Amino acid sequence: MTTTLTSSRPATTPAKSGRVTPARTRVLWYGFLGLLIVAGGIAFFFRMTQGLAVTNLSSTTPWGAWVAFYIFFVGLSAGAFLLSSLVYVFGMYQFERIGRAALLSAIVSMGVALAFIAVDLGRIDRSALPLVFFHWTSPLSWEVRFYIVYIILLSAELAIAIRLHKGLSKSSVRAQRRLRILGTIGIPLAIFGVHGGTGTIFAVLKARGMWFGGLFPVIFVVSAMVSGTALLAVIHYAQSRGSGRRPDAGLMKGLATVLAGVLCVDLGLMFYEFIVPLLAFQPHDGDVIRVMTLGPMWWSFWIIQLLAGMIIPLVVLLTPRLRARPGMVAAAAVLVVVGIVGVRFNIVVPPLIPGVIDGLPAGHYLPSLVEWVLSLGLIAGGAAAYSLISELLPIHDHDDGAEAEASELSKEASA
Amino acid sequence: MGVGDEGSASPQWGMVIDLAKCVGCDSCTVACKVENRTPPGVSYNVVLEEEVGTFPNVRHVNIPRPCMQCEKAPCVAVCPVSATYQREDGIVVIDADRCIGCRYCITACPYGARSFDFGESYEGEMQGANAVTAPDYGKQHGARRGSQAPIGTVRKCTFCAHRLERGEEPACVETCIGDARYFGDIADPKSLVSLLNASPRAFHLKEELGTRPRVTYLR
Repeated sequence: MTTTLTSSRPATTPAKSGRVTPARTRVLWYGFLGLLIVAGGIAFFFRMTQGLAVTNLSSTTPWGAWVAFYIFFVGLSAGAFLLSSLVYVFGMYQFERIGRAALLSAIVSMGVALAFIAVDLGRIDRSALPLVFFHWTSPLSWEVRFYIVYIILLSAELAIAIRLHKGLSKSSVRAQRRLRILGTIGIPLAIFGVHGGTGTIFAVLKARGMWFGGLFPVIFVVSAMVSGTALLAVIHYAQSRGSGRRPDAGLMKGLATVLAGVLCVDLGLMFYEFIVPLLAFQPHDGDVIRVMTLGPMWWSFWIIQLLAGMIIPLVVLLTPRLRARPGMVAAAAVLVVVGIVGVRFNIVVPPLIPGVIDGLPAGHYLPSLVEWVLSLGLIAGGAAAYSLISELLPIHDHDDGAEAEASELSKEASA
Repeated sequence: MGVGDEGSASPQWGMVIDLAKCVGCDSCTVACKVENRTPPGVSYNVVLEEEVGTFPNVRHVNIPRPCMQCEKAPCVAVCPVSATYQREDGIVVIDADRCIGCRYCITACPYGARSFDFGESYEGEMQGANAVTAPDYGKQHGARRGSQAPIGTVRKCTFCAHRLERGEEPACVETCIGDARYFGDIADPKSLVSLLNASPRAFHLKEELGTRPRVTYLR
């Protein structure tokens, strides 16, 4: 990261006096993450010594923040990977600069997701058992296997992409072909295996309102694209700024277009998700919708998920003047990522609030302090892993090299 | 194995609860807690109590709810490690030594019949509460301590499988003050539960889900 100081165009951001230098940004960044990781470690200690009693979960609401973050990071991973396939499978080389960043963030996100689901298990010591015992009717049993194949495939793809970038591959044409093949296998794996499959975990549960149904896995995949695209816009912007370079305006605009598109589809699917059970007067779905929109956490639906996560970003991304400014696109992307966290909580928690049968008490759930702190620690761990790996391996491009490489790649592609 | 299959070696346990005889005293819930020594927050049996209608046209409904021991059990279908399964006699049990505590089955149960064991204990209120545990699912796990199973796993009603083994009825059936509960072999067409199952008063909870519960209610 700091090596970019010596890149050929350090003057793109004129260093004003007193301004934070990349070196200091780096220290602040790792210091901040380190603090969160230490705090998370303490929370993990309580989690291990006292079990799930440290959470605010109950038998009525048995899943909470950790499951919400698990599906959030599976979604980030699948979305980031699908974005990388635009480069390596569909040859859209305007996104080449973030191809490796997309693959790495997909791998790291998947790791964070697995960490979240591991700490959520009542018997964390038995977390390897799903690999030993298989149950074909359980979507979760399939998922665990898909996640592992997916991580292996992505790691292979990233290794080839890095070798290609460093000019280590004997034949760049062959390396590109391998990337295309792996990416092509990865697309159905990410859509049906990893994220559609994670949606299926919920969609098969006929006991609960709003989960059961065929639309649910589709929404999962689309919202994964939303969060993955937004994450890469944030990473590209933050990484460029943090190392004292100017973000690539063309790239940011391209990401803005993709993001606006998938956001619109997401909003459309959400419309059907709500209107169909409402007009059918489905009692279970109606109860859940009432909890979501009018319950004590109404603001997480209306303000975080809908206003901040969808409406405001769409306005920014669809206004040509605003979309042209990388800073505005990055801000919209941050809002989208935060909004998707709201989406994930609203997927997991509200269907687990009404009693499943008349006469059972309704649940009540807000994450406990230990749940929050451990979550922040795991997220910081993921961010630190990403930052460290991207310092050791050539994940992010230097300004000059990238353009040359991109044009070279598109030349080869057209040849 | 379907109900009434010719040559089914094992009895198929079923329960019938006559709602006209239930007074809502919760004796079954208490007997269950005592028999199975379930920790705080875990009740294999509860009585769903509801007031229907608005004053003065109100009626009180009590529905005792053990596990339905569904033939097509949604909880069994989703278990990623096959820790929960149907025994030959139709009772749905959990292998507490295999359950990973993911709680997927709790979210899948349409009757709210499964609970997670968070490790809480009555030890503070009752001396020696941890010393004795029931042999849930036929296996004695010994004193309740640390993070030892069944702590950290999911728990449920087993029709008191450990009592059935000694030829006794489930505790809730035995204790019911109004004799509202009947228990027997539904594979035997001449058994009392089979005869009551054929009654026009018989119904099941959430029949529309197709779970085929082995607990029948008489309205």
